[in-house]
Amino acid sequence: MLKAEIKAEILRDVVEIIQTIVDEVKFNFEEDGLSLKAVDPAHVAMVELSLKKEAFINYEAKDTELGIALNKIDQFLKLSSPSDNVTLEHVDDENRLVLKVNNITQKMPILDTAGMTDPSVPQLDLPINVKILGKHLQTGVKASQNIADHIAISVNKEGFEMFSEEDEDSVKLSISKEELEEIAASEDVRSLFALDYFSNMIKSVDSNKVVTVELGKDYPIKLQFDFADGNGQVMFLLAPRIESA
Amino acid sequence: MGVALGDIVSSEEIGMNELEGKVIAIDAYNIIYQFLASIRQRDGKPLVDSQGRVTSHLSGLLYRNSNLLEVGIKPIYVFDGKPDIMKEGTLEKRKERKVKAKEEYEKALEEGDLERARTKAQQTSRMSKEIVESSDRLLELLGIPVVYAPAEGEGQAAHMAQVGDAWAAGSQDFDTLLCGCPKLVRNLTVTGKRKLPGRNEYKEVSPELIVLEEVLDELGITREQLVDIAILCGTDYNQGVKGIGPKRGLKYIKKHGDLEGVLEERNEEVNNYEVIRKLFLEPKVTDDYGLKFESPRVDELKEFLCEEHDFTEDRMQSVLDKLSAVADSKKQSKLFAFS
Repeated sequence: MLKAEIKAEILRDVVEIIQTIVDEVKFNFEEDGLSLKAVDPAHVAMVELSLKKEAFINYEAKDTELGIALNKIDQFLKLSSPSDNVTLEHVDDENRLVLKVNNITQKMPILDTAGMTDPSVPQLDLPINVKILGKHLQTGVKASQNIADHIAISVNKEGFEMFSEEDEDSVKLSISKEELEEIAASEDVRSLFALDYFSNMIKSVDSNKVVTVELGKDYPIKLQFDFADGNGQVMFLLAPRIESA
Repeated sequence: MGVALGDIVSSEEIGMNELEGKVIAIDAYNIIYQFLASIRQRDGKPLVDSQGRVTSHLSGLLYRNSNLLEVGIKPIYVFDGKPDIMKEGTLEKRKERKVKAKEEYEKALEEGDLERARTKAQQTSRMSKEIVESSDRLLELLGIPVVYAPAEGEGQAAHMAQVGDAWAAGSQDFDTLLCGCPKLVRNLTVTGKRKLPGRNEYKEVSPELIVLEEVLDELGITREQLVDIAILCGTDYNQGVKGIGPKRGLKYIKKHGDLEGVLEERNEEVNNYEVIRKLFLEPKVTDDYGLKFESPRVDELKEFLCEEHDFTEDRMQSVLDKLSAVADSKKQSKLFAFS
């Protein structure tokens, strides 16, 4: 059973974040809020998201697992403005989710979740932990997009760097230690990532929010940030490109 | 070639995407012969480079494998070693047929009958050392592992599938099943068209999977009995009993239990049938092989194809681009590799 009311902009954030990884997802509505995990079909990127019930205007749920095509919610939200209230309703054993905004009621089919197993989140021991403003990451991505398909992210004693090169062109964004919100680094590390994946993830970050970046040497990167006034938590994982192969 | 068991062996269609990430041990001679037969010019001449070397197989191997690699299939090519002495009869006959086909081809050309010339030319396809070597080189540049069997490629492919180094064998022949291969994939192609032998016609095909255990269950026989049916119908090592095809063979074997019983009732003989049985039931195989799947070396491929063998650079561009994308995707790791 699910009966919830939420600001359209928060729901849109949720959809935007998950859509960077998958088109369909299994929402788990528990008593204390929403949670989900999804991995992209190529097993390169993963998202884990939770939204506490405090993020909702009204929230009442009990063990409701709903498989949803995200583009349908996306389209539905286009009928609303950010400050509108959206209600979500699902009655147990019904095969449709009912969404309402203003005078519109839309029903959408629940997808079979049998094939949507919860991916297990790899347990990573990442040596570097940096806190950085979203806008820095966004600028770095923008600079790289002009010239390359890959982006190297590194941390050394000077600070944090995003670097791309292709043929004769190269571009680097450097954020000194002093400009970082926080840094805990015991060694120099560098990993290379596919820019299309990384830029999609960064797109869903609020530019004035602090993002926690965990990094290793030729290892996955972990990005964590909150949204919805701290009631929502997002974790992205992205596998690196292997430079020597 | 091989044993024609299609009439009694049932298969299921399998999508190429279901084969993603799977290792398939491909019977190299089987596929190369197909390319040599089917990839020809209008008058039936094979593709050749400026030095007159046949390149039909290179074209076939290049396009076929770039498609397999693109969907994430991991092919291994298993080449035949020395043919068993028992196969001499068959090989001798094939040779005769080829000589005859060549004469007929030349006659048809003289008469200007292109269609017939093409059909006859297809029957003249021969494997040579040069063809094996250039295939091996091309596969190496594609990053595809090659295994040399001590005897027949089918037996080796079956063995590799049995020990789990391959998910299935890939061949048009059913011989791998007789050799105990748990899974066989036929029509391993994306394009979906296959030439019908001896005719200028094409048939829509899609990959199909044959599971040995299911076949045996369905027919209600053992693998030994399936081999006996094959011997009745004729294999690469024997002619078979006149008038017996797979369906009648199955009936006979179910009635009598084994080949001996059938031969006794029909008062027929198959020379050396015990040796032939053994060739299928205990094929000569090796565990001495390495399987390293590497990225395609696109620049070297281009040089090999366009400079050494005179392929047209413009026409190669799209397949080389595809292989570049394959090489690139291999550099992307997967998350679960780190957990």
